[in-house]
Amino acid sequence: MINIMRADIYRMSKTKGMLLFWLFTAFTYIISIASKGYGGITIGATFDIPKNVNVDIGQLAMNSTFYYFLIMPVFCIITSEFSEHTIKNTISSSVSKRLYFMSKFLFSILYSTFSFMLANFGYYAANRLINGRKYSSAPADFAKAFFTQLPMFIAVISALTMFAFLLRKGALYNAVTISAPIVGLMIVQVLMSINSDKELLKKLSGLGEKLLYYHVEVMSQKIVLDPSDSYINNCYIICAAVIVLSFIIGYFSFTKRELN
Amino acid sequence: MRETILQTVGLTKRYRKFTALDNADMTVYRGDIYGLIGRNGAGKTTAMKIVTGLTEPTEGSYSIFGKSGQAAQSEKRRIGCLIENPAFFGNLTAYQNLKYYCYQKGITDMEQIDKVLALVNLSDVKNKKFRKFSLGMKQRLGIAFALLDSPDLIILDEPINGLDPIGISELRETFHRLNRENNITFIISSHILSELYAVANRFLFIDKGKVLKEVTKQELDLECSRCLVVRTNDTKKTAMLIESRQGIEDYKIINSEEVRIYDETAKPDEINKMLIGENVGIFGIYESGVSLEDYFKQLIGEEN
Repeated sequence: MINIMRADIYRMSKTKGMLLFWLFTAFTYIISIASKGYGGITIGATFDIPKNVNVDIGQLAMNSTFYYFLIMPVFCIITSEFSEHTIKNTISSSVSKRLYFMSKFLFSILYSTFSFMLANFGYYAANRLINGRKYSSAPADFAKAFFTQLPMFIAVISALTMFAFLLRKGALYNAVTISAPIVGLMIVQVLMSINSDKELLKKLSGLGEKLLYYHVEVMSQKIVLDPSDSYINNCYIICAAVIVLSFIIGYFSFTKRELN
Repeated sequence: MRETILQTVGLTKRYRKFTALDNADMTVYRGDIYGLIGRNGAGKTTAMKIVTGLTEPTEGSYSIFGKSGQAAQSEKRRIGCLIENPAFFGNLTAYQNLKYYCYQKGITDMEQIDKVLALVNLSDVKNKKFRKFSLGMKQRLGIAFALLDSPDLIILDEPINGLDPIGISELRETFHRLNRENNITFIISSHILSELYAVANRFLFIDKGKVLKEVTKQELDLECSRCLVVRTNDTKKTAMLIESRQGIEDYKIINSEEVRIYDETAKPDEINKMLIGENVGIFGIYESGVSLEDYFKQLIGEEN
Protein backbone atom coordinates (compact mmCIF):
# COMPACT_ATOMS: atom_id res chain seq x y z
CA MET A 1 0.00 0.00 0.00
CA ILE A 2 2.83 2.37 0.92
CA ASN A 3 4.60 1.56 -2.38
CA ILE A 4 1.49 2.41 -4.41
CA MET A 5 1.14 5.70 -2.56
CA ARG A 6 4.84 6.55 -3.03
CA ALA A 7 4.47 5.86 -6.75
CA ASP A 8 1.40 8.09 -6.91
CA ILE A 9 3.14 10.95 -5.10
CA TYR A 10 5.93 10.70 -7.68
CA ARG A 11 3.45 10.71 -10.57
CA MET A 12 1.41 13.58 -9.16
CA SER A 13 4.60 15.64 -8.95
CA LYS A 14 4.98 15.19 -12.73
CA THR A 15 1.33 15.66 -13.68
CA LYS A 16 0.09 18.97 -15.03
CA GLY A 17 -3.50 18.17 -14.02
CA MET A 18 -2.78 19.28 -10.48
CA LEU A 19 -1.47 22.60 -11.80
CA LEU A 20 -5.05 23.38 -12.86
CA PHE A 21 -6.24 22.77 -9.31
CA TRP A 22 -3.71 25.25 -7.94
CA LEU A 23 -4.31 27.76 -10.77
CA PHE A 24 -8.08 27.86 -10.18
CA THR A 25 -7.57 28.00 -6.41
CA ALA A 26 -5.02 30.81 -6.69
CA PHE A 27 -7.25 32.73 -9.10
CA THR A 28 -10.23 32.54 -6.71
CA TYR A 29 -8.15 33.56 -3.72
CA ILE A 30 -6.31 36.39 -5.48
CA ILE A 31 -9.68 37.94 -6.38
CA SER A 32 -10.88 37.47 -2.80
CA ILE A 33 -7.77 39.04 -1.26
CA ALA A 34 -7.58 41.88 -3.79
CA SER A 35 -11.27 42.78 -3.44
CA LYS A 36 -11.38 42.08 0.29
CA GLY A 37 -14.50 40.05 -0.42
CA TYR A 38 -15.49 36.47 -0.89
CA GLY A 39 -16.65 34.48 -3.85
CA GLY A 40 -16.52 31.29 -5.84
CA ILE A 41 -18.59 29.05 -8.06
CA THR A 42 -22.22 28.70 -7.01
CA ILE A 43 -25.27 27.24 -8.69
CA GLY A 44 -27.69 29.41 -6.74
CA ALA A 45 -28.32 27.32 -3.67
CA THR A 46 -26.34 29.63 -1.39
CA PHE A 47 -27.84 32.14 1.02
CA ASP A 48 -26.60 35.68 1.53
CA ILE A 49 -23.57 35.91 3.78
CA PRO A 50 -24.00 38.46 6.62
CA LYS A 51 -21.91 41.62 6.14
CA ASN A 52 -20.24 41.46 9.55
CA VAL A 53 -18.47 38.21 8.68
CA ASN A 54 -14.70 38.42 8.18
CA VAL A 55 -13.38 37.94 4.65
CA ASP A 56 -11.61 34.65 5.46
CA ILE A 57 -14.64 33.11 7.17
CA GLY A 58 -16.85 34.32 4.31
CA GLN A 59 -14.46 32.66 1.87
CA LEU A 60 -14.63 29.45 3.91
CA ALA A 61 -18.41 29.60 3.58
CA MET A 62 -17.93 29.71 -0.19
CA ASN A 63 -15.79 26.57 -0.12
CA SER A 64 -18.37 24.61 -2.11
CA THR A 65 -16.25 25.86 -5.03
CA PHE A 66 -13.80 23.18 -3.95
CA TYR A 67 -16.33 20.52 -4.90
CA TYR A 68 -15.44 21.36 -8.52
CA PHE A 69 -11.72 21.84 -7.88
CA LEU A 70 -11.42 18.48 -6.10
CA ILE A 71 -12.66 16.67 -9.22
CA MET A 72 -9.16 17.27 -10.61
CA PRO A 73 -6.90 15.41 -8.12
CA VAL A 74 -9.25 12.40 -8.06
CA PHE A 75 -9.26 12.42 -11.87
CA CYS A 76 -5.45 12.49 -11.94
CA ILE A 77 -5.07 9.74 -9.33
CA ILE A 78 -7.72 7.27 -10.52
CA THR A 79 -9.48 8.07 -13.79
CA SER A 80 -6.23 8.57 -15.72
CA GLU A 81 -5.23 4.98 -14.78
CA PHE A 82 -8.38 3.71 -16.47
CA SER A 83 -8.20 5.99 -19.50
CA GLU A 84 -4.50 5.23 -20.14
CA HIS A 85 -5.12 1.52 -19.31
CA THR A 86 -2.07 1.57 -17.00
CA ILE A 87 -4.15 -0.13 -14.32
CA LYS A 88 -3.49 -3.44 -16.12
CA ASN A 89 0.24 -3.12 -15.44
CA THR A 90 -0.33 -2.82 -11.71
CA ILE A 91 -3.00 -5.49 -11.32
CA SER A 92 -1.19 -8.03 -13.52
CA SER A 93 2.20 -7.88 -11.85
CA SER A 94 2.12 -6.03 -8.52
CA VAL A 95 -0.96 -6.14 -6.36
CA SER A 96 -4.46 -7.57 -6.04
CA LYS A 97 -7.53 -5.59 -7.04
CA ARG A 98 -8.48 -5.36 -3.36
CA LEU A 99 -5.21 -3.80 -2.28
CA TYR A 100 -5.20 -1.54 -5.32
CA PHE A 101 -8.65 -0.17 -4.50
CA MET A 102 -7.87 0.41 -0.84
CA SER A 103 -4.57 2.14 -1.65
CA LYS A 104 -6.13 4.43 -4.24
CA PHE A 105 -9.18 5.22 -2.11
CA LEU A 106 -7.01 6.15 0.86
CA PHE A 107 -4.47 8.05 -1.22
CA SER A 108 -7.22 10.04 -2.97
CA ILE A 109 -8.60 11.13 0.39
CA LEU A 110 -5.21 11.92 1.92
CA TYR A 111 -3.81 13.75 -1.09
CA SER A 112 -6.96 15.75 -1.84
CA THR A 113 -7.54 16.59 1.83
CA PHE A 114 -3.93 17.74 2.17
CA SER A 115 -4.29 19.94 -0.95
CA PHE A 116 -7.59 21.33 0.37
CA MET A 117 -6.01 22.15 3.75
CA LEU A 118 -2.92 23.67 2.19
CA ALA A 119 -5.07 25.88 -0.05
CA ASN A 120 -7.28 27.11 2.81
CA PHE A 121 -4.50 27.80 5.30
CA GLY A 122 -2.36 29.28 2.54
CA TYR A 123 -5.22 31.62 1.73
CA TYR A 124 -5.66 32.50 5.40
CA ALA A 125 -1.95 33.35 5.76
CA ALA A 126 -1.87 35.38 2.54
CA ASN A 127 -5.01 37.30 3.43
CA ARG A 128 -3.73 38.07 6.94
CA LEU A 129 -0.37 39.19 5.53
CA ILE A 130 -1.77 41.35 2.77
CA ASN A 131 -5.04 42.68 4.21
CA GLY A 132 -4.04 42.68 7.90
CA ARG A 133 -5.97 41.71 11.01
CA LYS A 134 -8.92 43.94 10.17
CA TYR A 135 -9.96 41.58 7.40
CA SER A 136 -9.05 38.30 9.04
CA SER A 137 -10.16 36.21 11.97
CA ALA A 138 -8.05 34.88 14.81
CA PRO A 139 -6.12 31.74 13.79
CA ALA A 140 -8.06 29.61 16.30
CA ASP A 141 -11.43 30.83 14.96
CA PHE A 142 -10.45 30.14 11.37
CA ALA A 143 -9.04 26.70 12.28
CA LYS A 144 -12.20 25.82 14.21
CA ALA A 145 -14.47 26.82 11.32
CA PHE A 146 -12.26 24.96 8.85
CA PHE A 147 -12.11 21.73 10.82
CA THR A 148 -15.87 21.82 11.43
CA GLN A 149 -16.30 21.93 7.66
CA LEU A 150 -13.56 19.38 6.81
CA PRO A 151 -15.57 16.12 7.28
CA MET A 152 -17.97 17.33 4.61
CA PHE A 153 -15.13 17.63 2.12
CA ILE A 154 -13.75 14.22 3.06
CA ALA A 155 -17.20 12.88 2.17
CA VAL A 156 -17.10 14.83 -1.10
CA ILE A 157 -13.69 13.35 -1.98
CA SER A 158 -14.94 9.84 -1.10
CA ALA A 159 -17.96 10.30 -3.36
CA LEU A 160 -15.76 11.58 -6.20
CA THR A 161 -13.46 8.57 -5.72
CA MET A 162 -16.44 6.24 -5.90
CA PHE A 163 -17.58 7.90 -9.13
CA ALA A 164 -14.06 7.47 -10.56
CA PHE A 165 -14.11 3.71 -9.89
CA LEU A 166 -17.72 3.35 -10.96
CA LEU A 167 -17.61 5.32 -14.20
CA ARG A 168 -13.96 4.71 -15.22
CA LYS A 169 -14.13 6.80 -18.40
CA GLY A 170 -12.75 10.33 -18.05
CA ALA A 171 -15.47 12.14 -19.98
CA LEU A 172 -18.23 10.29 -18.15
CA TYR A 173 -16.62 10.95 -14.76
CA ASN A 174 -16.32 14.67 -15.53
CA ALA A 175 -19.87 14.93 -16.87
CA VAL A 176 -21.45 13.15 -13.92
CA THR A 177 -19.42 14.80 -11.16
CA ILE A 178 -19.78 18.33 -12.56
CA SER A 179 -23.50 17.97 -13.09
CA ALA A 180 -24.27 16.12 -9.82
CA PRO A 181 -24.81 19.26 -7.64
CA ILE A 182 -26.96 20.81 -10.39
CA VAL A 183 -29.08 17.67 -10.71
CA GLY A 184 -29.38 17.53 -6.92
CA LEU A 185 -30.56 21.13 -6.78
CA MET A 186 -33.03 20.54 -9.59
CA ILE A 187 -34.59 17.63 -7.70
CA VAL A 188 -34.82 19.78 -4.57
CA GLN A 189 -36.45 22.59 -6.55
CA VAL A 190 -38.96 20.24 -8.15
CA LEU A 191 -39.92 18.89 -4.72
CA MET A 192 -40.18 22.36 -3.23
CA SER A 193 -42.35 23.62 -6.05
CA ILE A 194 -45.06 21.09 -5.24
CA ASN A 195 -48.05 23.04 -4.06
CA SER A 196 -50.91 20.84 -3.00
CA ASP A 197 -53.21 20.14 -0.08
CA LYS A 198 -52.69 16.40 -0.39
CA GLU A 199 -50.78 15.00 2.61
CA LEU A 200 -48.21 13.00 0.61
CA LEU A 201 -47.41 15.90 -1.69
CA LYS A 202 -47.13 18.26 1.27
CA LYS A 203 -44.60 15.85 2.82
CA LEU A 204 -42.64 15.71 -0.41
CA SER A 205 -42.50 19.49 -0.53
CA GLY A 206 -41.26 19.55 3.07
CA LEU A 207 -38.66 16.91 2.22
CA GLY A 208 -37.38 19.14 -0.59
CA GLU A 209 -36.90 21.98 1.87
CA LYS A 210 -35.01 19.70 4.29
CA LEU A 211 -32.85 18.30 1.50
CA LEU A 212 -31.85 21.81 0.45
CA TYR A 213 -30.10 22.25 3.80
CA TYR A 214 -27.95 19.22 3.04
CA HIS A 215 -27.01 20.26 -0.49
CA VAL A 216 -23.20 20.58 -0.77
CA GLU A 217 -23.42 24.32 -1.39
CA VAL A 218 -25.72 25.08 1.54
CA MET A 219 -23.94 22.66 3.88
CA SER A 220 -20.51 24.21 3.35
CA GLN A 221 -22.03 27.62 4.09
CA LYS A 222 -24.30 26.77 6.99
CA ILE A 223 -21.67 24.70 8.85
CA VAL A 224 -19.41 27.76 8.95
CA LEU A 225 -21.92 30.59 9.44
CA ASP A 226 -24.98 29.27 11.18
CA PRO A 227 -24.21 25.98 12.87
CA SER A 228 -26.40 24.40 15.49
CA ASP A 229 -25.32 21.24 17.27
CA SER A 230 -28.15 19.20 15.83
CA TYR A 231 -27.45 20.44 12.29
CA ILE A 232 -23.74 19.64 12.61
CA ASN A 233 -24.58 16.20 14.00
CA ASN A 234 -26.93 15.52 11.09
CA CYS A 235 -24.26 16.70 8.66
CA TYR A 236 -21.66 14.40 10.20
CA ILE A 237 -24.02 11.42 10.09
CA ILE A 238 -24.66 12.10 6.39
CA CYS A 239 -20.91 12.51 5.77
CA ALA A 240 -20.11 9.22 7.53
CA ALA A 241 -22.82 7.46 5.51
CA VAL A 242 -21.47 8.90 2.25
CA ILE A 243 -17.91 7.80 3.09
CA VAL A 244 -18.97 4.24 3.99
CA LEU A 245 -21.32 3.89 1.01
CA SER A 246 -18.73 5.32 -1.37
CA PHE A 247 -16.18 2.78 -0.13
CA ILE A 248 -18.58 -0.16 -0.45
CA ILE A 249 -20.01 0.79 -3.86
CA GLY A 250 -16.56 1.70 -5.23
CA TYR A 251 -15.02 -1.51 -3.91
CA PHE A 252 -17.63 -3.86 -5.35
CA SER A 253 -17.92 -2.04 -8.65
CA PHE A 254 -14.14 -2.24 -9.08
CA THR A 255 -13.43 -5.75 -7.86
CA LYS A 256 -16.41 -7.47 -9.48
CA ARG A 257 -16.18 -5.86 -12.90
CA GLU A 258 -13.84 -6.85 -15.70
CA LEU A 259 -10.82 -4.69 -16.50
CA ASN A 260 -10.72 -3.83 -20.19
CA MET B 1 11.73 -33.59 -12.71
CA ARG B 2 11.23 -30.03 -13.98
CA GLU B 3 9.51 -27.49 -11.77
CA THR B 4 6.01 -26.59 -12.89
CA ILE B 5 5.68 -22.81 -13.14
CA LEU B 6 2.11 -22.60 -14.37
CA GLN B 7 -0.60 -25.20 -14.56
CA THR B 8 -4.18 -24.67 -15.61
CA VAL B 9 -6.94 -27.25 -15.21
CA GLY B 10 -10.20 -26.91 -17.14
CA LEU B 11 -9.84 -23.14 -17.37
CA THR B 12 -13.05 -21.69 -18.81
CA LYS B 13 -14.20 -18.13 -19.35
CA ARG B 14 -17.67 -17.29 -20.55
CA TYR B 15 -19.12 -13.88 -21.37
CA ARG B 16 -22.85 -14.56 -21.30
CA LYS B 17 -23.38 -16.93 -24.25
CA PHE B 18 -19.90 -16.48 -25.70
CA THR B 19 -17.18 -18.86 -24.51
CA ALA B 20 -13.80 -17.17 -24.83
CA LEU B 21 -11.86 -20.04 -23.26
CA ASP B 22 -13.17 -23.57 -23.08
CA ASN B 23 -11.77 -26.10 -20.63
CA ALA B 24 -8.13 -25.22 -21.29
CA ASP B 25 -5.37 -27.33 -19.76
CA MET B 26 -1.76 -26.23 -20.04
CA THR B 27 1.46 -26.85 -18.19
CA VAL B 28 4.48 -24.59 -18.33
CA TYR B 29 7.78 -25.79 -16.88
CA ARG B 30 10.72 -23.75 -15.61
CA GLY B 31 12.95 -22.72 -18.49
CA ASP B 32 10.27 -23.08 -21.13
CA ILE B 33 9.65 -20.53 -23.83
CA TYR B 34 6.02 -21.44 -24.21
CA GLY B 35 4.30 -20.24 -27.34
CA LEU B 36 0.55 -19.73 -27.49
CA ILE B 37 -0.49 -19.94 -31.12
CA GLY B 38 -3.92 -19.00 -32.33
CA ARG B 39 -5.86 -16.70 -34.58
CA ASN B 40 -7.18 -13.34 -33.36
CA GLY B 41 -9.91 -14.02 -30.83
CA ALA B 42 -8.76 -17.61 -30.25
CA GLY B 43 -8.58 -17.16 -26.48
CA LYS B 44 -4.85 -16.49 -26.01
CA THR B 45 -5.30 -13.11 -24.32
CA THR B 46 -8.17 -14.41 -22.18
CA ALA B 47 -5.92 -17.21 -20.88
CA MET B 48 -3.19 -14.68 -20.10
CA LYS B 49 -5.63 -12.29 -18.44
CA ILE B 50 -6.85 -15.06 -16.15
CA VAL B 51 -3.42 -16.18 -14.99
CA THR B 52 -2.35 -12.58 -14.35
CA GLY B 53 -5.46 -11.83 -12.30
CA LEU B 54 -6.99 -9.32 -14.72
CA THR B 55 -10.10 -11.44 -14.96
CA GLU B 56 -11.63 -14.33 -13.06
CA PRO B 57 -12.25 -17.73 -14.67
CA THR B 58 -15.86 -18.90 -14.90
CA GLU B 59 -14.70 -22.46 -14.22
CA GLY B 60 -11.45 -24.29 -13.64
CA SER B 61 -8.36 -23.40 -11.68
CA TYR B 62 -4.73 -22.50 -12.10
CA SER B 63 -1.59 -22.52 -10.01
CA ILE B 64 1.48 -20.31 -10.33
CA PHE B 65 4.78 -21.47 -8.85
CA GLY B 66 2.79 -24.25 -7.21
CA LYS B 67 0.38 -21.90 -5.45
CA SER B 68 -3.28 -21.42 -6.25
CA GLY B 69 -6.15 -19.18 -5.15
CA GLN B 70 -5.27 -16.27 -2.85
CA ALA B 71 -1.77 -17.68 -2.25
CA ALA B 72 -1.03 -17.17 -5.96
CA GLN B 73 -1.45 -13.41 -5.44
CA SER B 74 1.72 -13.33 -3.36
CA GLU B 75 3.64 -14.77 -6.33
CA LYS B 76 2.65 -11.91 -8.63
CA ARG B 77 5.89 -10.10 -7.91
CA ARG B 78 7.68 -12.95 -9.70
CA ILE B 79 5.77 -12.27 -12.91
CA GLY B 80 6.47 -9.64 -15.55
CA CYS B 81 3.62 -8.96 -17.96
CA LEU B 82 2.69 -7.24 -21.13
CA ILE B 83 -0.98 -7.91 -21.83
CA GLU B 84 -2.59 -6.52 -24.99
CA ASN B 85 -1.25 -3.10 -26.01
CA PRO B 86 1.53 -1.52 -23.96
CA ALA B 87 -0.06 1.11 -21.72
CA PHE B 88 1.82 3.91 -19.99
CA PHE B 89 1.21 7.50 -18.97
CA GLY B 90 1.50 9.63 -22.10
CA ASN B 91 2.65 12.72 -20.23
CA LEU B 92 5.60 10.92 -18.61
CA THR B 93 8.87 9.95 -20.28
CA ALA B 94 9.95 6.33 -20.67
CA TYR B 95 12.27 6.70 -17.68
CA GLN B 96 9.61 8.38 -15.53
CA ASN B 97 7.06 5.70 -16.39
CA LEU B 98 9.44 2.94 -15.31
CA LYS B 99 10.43 4.91 -12.20
CA TYR B 100 6.73 5.09 -11.26
CA TYR B 101 6.53 1.28 -11.47
CA CYS B 102 9.81 0.91 -9.55
CA TYR B 103 8.21 2.81 -6.66
CA GLN B 104 5.07 0.74 -7.00
CA LYS B 105 6.94 -2.58 -6.95
CA GLY B 106 9.25 -1.43 -4.15
CA ILE B 107 12.38 -1.57 -6.34
CA THR B 108 15.01 0.66 -4.75
CA ASP B 109 17.79 0.20 -7.29
CA MET B 110 16.89 2.76 -9.96
CA GLU B 111 19.83 1.59 -12.11
CA GLN B 112 17.56 -1.29 -13.03
CA ILE B 113 15.64 1.19 -15.23
CA ASP B 114 18.72 1.94 -17.34
CA LYS B 115 19.53 -1.76 -17.55
CA VAL B 116 16.13 -2.77 -18.93
CA LEU B 117 15.98 0.23 -21.25
CA ALA B 118 19.37 -0.81 -22.66
CA LEU B 119 18.12 -4.37 -23.13
CA VAL B 120 15.36 -3.14 -25.43
CA ASN B 121 17.45 -0.43 -27.08
CA LEU B 122 15.56 2.52 -25.68
CA SER B 123 18.42 4.19 -23.77
CA ASP B 124 18.67 7.01 -26.31
CA VAL B 125 15.02 7.96 -26.01
CA LYS B 126 14.54 7.44 -22.28
CA ASN B 127 13.68 11.13 -21.79
CA LYS B 128 11.15 11.20 -24.60
CA LYS B 129 7.48 11.29 -23.61
CA PHE B 130 5.57 8.05 -24.09
CA ARG B 131 2.88 9.70 -26.23
CA LYS B 132 5.55 10.61 -28.79
CA PHE B 133 6.75 6.99 -29.10
CA SER B 134 6.19 4.95 -32.26
CA LEU B 135 4.28 1.66 -31.96
CA GLY B 136 7.51 -0.32 -31.99
CA MET B 137 9.04 1.84 -29.25
CA LYS B 138 5.90 1.47 -27.15
CA GLN B 139 6.11 -2.28 -27.57
CA ARG B 140 9.75 -2.30 -26.47
CA LEU B 141 8.96 -0.16 -23.42
CA GLY B 142 6.25 -2.68 -22.53
CA ILE B 143 8.86 -5.43 -22.65
CA ALA B 144 11.24 -3.32 -20.53
CA PHE B 145 8.43 -2.98 -17.98
CA ALA B 146 7.95 -6.75 -17.94
CA LEU B 147 11.67 -7.19 -17.25
CA LEU B 148 11.84 -4.48 -14.57
CA ASP B 149 11.56 -6.59 -11.43
CA SER B 150 13.89 -9.41 -12.60
CA PRO B 151 10.93 -11.79 -12.83
CA ASP B 152 11.02 -15.59 -12.94
CA LEU B 153 8.14 -15.72 -15.40
CA ILE B 154 7.46 -13.27 -18.22
CA ILE B 155 4.07 -13.26 -19.94
CA LEU B 156 3.98 -11.37 -23.24
CA ASP B 157 0.89 -10.95 -25.36
CA GLU B 158 1.74 -10.34 -29.02
CA PRO B 159 5.09 -8.70 -28.14
CA ILE B 160 6.34 -8.38 -31.71
CA ASN B 161 3.36 -6.41 -33.01
CA GLY B 162 4.58 -3.21 -34.62
CA LEU B 163 8.27 -4.11 -34.53
CA ASP B 164 10.47 -3.91 -37.61
CA PRO B 165 12.39 -7.04 -38.75
CA ILE B 166 15.62 -5.95 -37.03
CA GLY B 167 13.71 -5.17 -33.83
CA ILE B 168 12.06 -8.60 -33.96
CA SER B 169 15.40 -10.33 -34.43
CA GLU B 170 17.00 -8.35 -31.55
CA LEU B 171 14.09 -9.15 -29.29
CA ARG B 172 14.30 -12.83 -30.16
CA GLU B 173 17.96 -12.78 -29.14
CA THR B 174 17.06 -11.00 -25.88
CA PHE B 175 14.43 -13.64 -25.04
CA HIS B 176 16.85 -16.46 -25.77
CA ARG B 177 19.61 -14.83 -23.72
CA LEU B 178 17.37 -14.18 -20.70
CA ASN B 179 16.03 -17.71 -20.93
CA ARG B 180 19.50 -19.22 -21.21
CA GLU B 181 21.45 -17.04 -18.76
CA ASN B 182 18.80 -16.17 -16.16
CA ASN B 183 16.60 -19.26 -16.55
CA ILE B 184 13.58 -17.01 -17.05
CA THR B 185 10.45 -18.79 -18.23
CA PHE B 186 8.46 -17.11 -21.00
CA ILE B 187 4.88 -17.42 -22.14
CA ILE B 188 4.52 -15.64 -25.46
CA SER B 189 1.41 -15.41 -27.58
CA SER B 190 1.33 -14.58 -31.24
CA HIS B 191 -0.61 -15.19 -34.39
CA ILE B 192 2.62 -14.90 -36.42
CA LEU B 193 3.56 -18.56 -36.47
CA SER B 194 7.01 -18.26 -38.03
CA GLU B 195 8.15 -15.78 -35.39
CA LEU B 196 6.86 -17.82 -32.50
CA TYR B 197 8.45 -20.92 -34.00
CA ALA B 198 11.80 -19.13 -34.04
CA VAL B 199 11.70 -18.32 -30.35
CA ALA B 200 9.64 -20.94 -28.45
CA ASN B 201 10.50 -24.50 -27.45
CA ARG B 202 6.99 -25.64 -26.52
CA PHE B 203 3.73 -24.74 -28.22
CA LEU B 204 0.06 -24.66 -27.42
CA PHE B 205 -2.29 -24.44 -30.38
CA ILE B 206 -5.58 -22.83 -29.53
CA ASP B 207 -8.66 -21.99 -31.57
CA LYS B 208 -12.15 -20.74 -30.68
CA GLY B 209 -11.24 -21.01 -27.02
CA LYS B 210 -10.28 -24.66 -27.22
CA VAL B 211 -6.84 -26.14 -26.81
CA LEU B 212 -6.07 -28.11 -29.96
CA LYS B 213 -2.65 -29.49 -29.16
CA GLU B 214 0.35 -29.02 -26.87
CA VAL B 215 3.65 -30.03 -28.46
CA THR B 216 7.37 -29.59 -28.00
CA LYS B 217 9.46 -28.09 -30.77
CA GLN B 218 10.93 -31.52 -31.56
CA GLU B 219 7.46 -33.02 -31.92
CA LEU B 220 6.37 -30.13 -34.08
CA ASP B 221 9.44 -30.50 -36.29
CA LEU B 222 8.71 -34.15 -36.64
CA GLU B 223 5.13 -33.53 -37.65
CA CYS B 224 5.96 -30.77 -40.08
CA SER B 225 9.23 -31.97 -41.58
CA ARG B 226 9.56 -33.36 -45.10
CA CYS B 227 9.44 -37.12 -45.23
CA LEU B 228 8.61 -40.15 -47.34
CA VAL B 229 5.35 -41.72 -46.28
CA VAL B 230 5.14 -45.48 -46.85
CA ARG B 231 1.67 -46.95 -46.34
CA THR B 232 1.69 -50.77 -46.19
CA ASN B 233 -0.21 -53.71 -44.69
CA ASP B 234 2.79 -54.70 -42.51
CA THR B 235 4.63 -51.80 -40.94
CA LYS B 236 6.93 -53.98 -38.80
CA LYS B 237 8.25 -55.93 -41.80
CA THR B 238 8.51 -52.66 -43.77
CA ALA B 239 10.57 -51.07 -41.01
CA MET B 240 12.82 -54.10 -40.73
CA LEU B 241 13.44 -54.14 -44.51
CA ILE B 242 14.08 -50.41 -44.69
CA GLU B 243 16.66 -50.71 -41.95
CA SER B 244 18.38 -53.93 -43.02
CA ARG B 245 18.30 -53.56 -46.82
CA GLN B 246 18.43 -49.82 -47.31
CA GLY B 247 20.49 -48.93 -44.22
CA ILE B 248 17.98 -46.25 -43.19
CA GLU B 249 17.70 -45.60 -39.47
CA ASP B 250 15.86 -42.26 -39.47
CA TYR B 251 12.26 -43.45 -39.69
CA LYS B 252 9.20 -43.72 -37.46
CA ILE B 253 6.23 -46.09 -37.37
CA ILE B 254 3.26 -43.75 -37.12
CA ASN B 255 0.44 -46.33 -36.94
CA SER B 256 -0.44 -49.83 -38.16
CA GLU B 257 -0.39 -48.69 -41.80
CA GLU B 258 2.13 -45.86 -41.95
CA VAL B 259 5.91 -45.56 -41.74
CA ARG B 260 7.59 -42.20 -42.20
CA ILE B 261 11.16 -42.01 -43.45
CA TYR B 262 13.00 -38.78 -42.65
CA ASP B 263 16.29 -39.77 -44.34
CA GLU B 264 16.63 -37.55 -47.41
CA THR B 265 18.57 -40.20 -49.36
CA ALA B 266 15.62 -42.61 -49.36
CA LYS B 267 14.49 -43.41 -52.91
CA PRO B 268 10.77 -44.18 -53.33
CA ASP B 269 11.21 -46.36 -56.45
CA GLU B 270 13.83 -48.57 -54.76
CA ILE B 271 11.72 -48.99 -51.63
CA ASN B 272 8.69 -49.78 -53.77
CA LYS B 273 10.61 -52.46 -55.70
CA MET B 274 12.01 -53.96 -52.48
CA LEU B 275 8.63 -54.17 -50.75
CA ILE B 276 6.95 -55.76 -53.79
CA GLY B 277 9.79 -58.31 -53.94
CA GLU B 278 9.16 -59.20 -50.30
CA ASN B 279 5.37 -59.52 -50.82
CA VAL B 280 4.46 -56.55 -48.66
CA GLY B 281 1.13 -55.00 -49.65
CA ILE B 282 1.67 -51.33 -50.59
CA PHE B 283 -1.16 -48.80 -50.29
CA GLY B 284 0.99 -45.88 -51.31
CA ILE B 285 4.38 -44.22 -51.27
CA TYR B 286 4.56 -40.44 -51.44
CA GLU B 287 6.48 -37.46 -50.22
CA SER B 288 4.92 -35.38 -47.48
CA GLY B 289 5.71 -32.39 -45.28
CA VAL B 290 3.83 -29.29 -44.29
CA SER B 291 4.69 -25.74 -43.38
CA LEU B 292 3.82 -24.47 -39.92
CA GLU B 293 0.90 -22.53 -41.38
CA ASP B 294 -0.44 -25.60 -43.17
CA TYR B 295 -0.01 -27.65 -40.03
CA PHE B 296 -2.02 -25.09 -38.06
CA LYS B 297 -4.67 -25.00 -40.77
CA GLN B 298 -4.88 -28.79 -40.61
CA LEU B 299 -5.34 -28.67 -36.85
CA ILE B 300 -8.13 -26.12 -37.15
CA GLY B 301 -9.66 -28.14 -39.98
CA GLU B 302 -9.61 -31.35 -37.93
CA GLU B 303 -11.28 -29.57 -35.03
CA ASN B 304 -13.97 -28.07 -37.22
